[in-house]
Amino acid sequence: MSESLRETLDLALLWEYRVVLLKGLTMTLGVFACAAVLAVAGGLVAALWRVSRFRVVRWVGTVHVEIARNSPDYIMVVWVHFVLPLLLGAIIRRRLEFDPFVSAVIALSYVYSGYFAETFRAGIEAVPRGQIEAGRGLGMSERKIMWRVILPQVVRRMLPESVNQFISLFKATSIVSLIAVPDLMYQVGIISAQVMRPMPLYTGAALVYFAVVLLCANLLGLLSNRWRNKVFA
Amino acid sequence: MGNWERLVWNQREAFLAGFQVTLQVCAVAFVGAILGGLLLCLVRVYVRPLRPVAVVLIEFFRATPILVQLLWVNYVWPELFGWPNTFFSAACVALAVQSSGYLAETFRGAIEAIPKGHLEAASSLGMPPWRAFLRIVMPQVLLDAAPSIGNQLTVIVKSSALVSVIAVPDLMFQSQKLVNKWYEPIEILTATAVIYILFIFLLSVTLTWLARAMRRRYGLTAL
Repeated sequence: MSESLRETLDLALLWEYRVVLLKGLTMTLGVFACAAVLAVAGGLVAALWRVSRFRVVRWVGTVHVEIARNSPDYIMVVWVHFVLPLLLGAIIRRRLEFDPFVSAVIALSYVYSGYFAETFRAGIEAVPRGQIEAGRGLGMSERKIMWRVILPQVVRRMLPESVNQFISLFKATSIVSLIAVPDLMYQVGIISAQVMRPMPLYTGAALVYFAVVLLCANLLGLLSNRWRNKVFA
Repeated sequence: MGNWERLVWNQREAFLAGFQVTLQVCAVAFVGAILGGLLLCLVRVYVRPLRPVAVVLIEFFRATPILVQLLWVNYVWPELFGWPNTFFSAACVALAVQSSGYLAETFRGAIEAIPKGHLEAASSLGMPPWRAFLRIVMPQVLLDAAPSIGNQLTVIVKSSALVSVIAVPDLMFQSQKLVNKWYEPIEILTATAVIYILFIFLLSVTLTWLARAMRRRYGLTAL
């Protein structure tokens, strides 16, 4: 077993392929960044729909959020990559194909907009009603109240708590390697098929994710504690 | 309509067989996750010399994505530990490992939330520590953590879609096999997605109802 252990922890192999692996990590971060921005935006929109005055809008928002929250990421990624181009192509009567990066970003941001929507909705409903009534008393329109009173508080309050969602999103980006986006796991798969040494490579990939997530989680935890102390004194 | 019938309804045996394997993997992984999480948590809280080991393991299991864990358990563990030696067991172990990290933290929070007065009362009544643990701490911890445990079941089912990557013949694997056979992905993949989404939705509705019923009955769970 000690020989297997030595083989597993042979990280020199990772150093040898560091350029390729770094490219993969950059792609992972790129997918994460795009998906995160779209997911937050989509989550905000969905949360606004869910608290709207109109029942139809609320219902549409609920359906969106429930589908997004209850679907496995992998299923959504595969569906968006293989089925959506065919459906859209049938509508516009041309043959469409999505670049894997695009499908990955669309699918992941859709799924995670559901989680963010729930977080933002909790934040919106946590704003004291007195502020909304004060806004109405001052003659502000509903839209202006939402934009200038509620949303700044919601974003400030909920962004630290969404750190867990961002970390989940980062971990979920590993799935996109399965539709041939050249991210970290994809590069690891290719290298391990070439050199036939899966053990150090997969262990190394796990350690890379471990290091990145731990670093970011601790960093963001520190930052959010300082933010929280600053905002809520 | 004809396409749906030909591609989905006529292949329902394949779908059902895959769904059965998915259920099996999820059930085994769920039990394993609870046991593993409990073990990690107890080692972390009560076994002081092994505490750093437990902390590192918990953080490692929480920080790595499920796909990475699946591939790692499937390809590295058999060489290192000689086990798991089938794809099915590797999938169950990987899913259990992922959730046991989260459950260990949940259990730890629940244990630390028990008022010290309970333990002091137990020791003043002459209860040995192990009995106090079994009869006072564990019931409260399990009740407190029940909604999170149910949530982890949902997470396990969602992650189980990935075990097709290590050739476990689950629902996703069967539907991909069909797509490769017939080259008509729209109906098959949409049907698969609908089955997963519906199943997970019903599961989460049932779990929410269960959590509410437990709260009514025992009055202790956080919702």
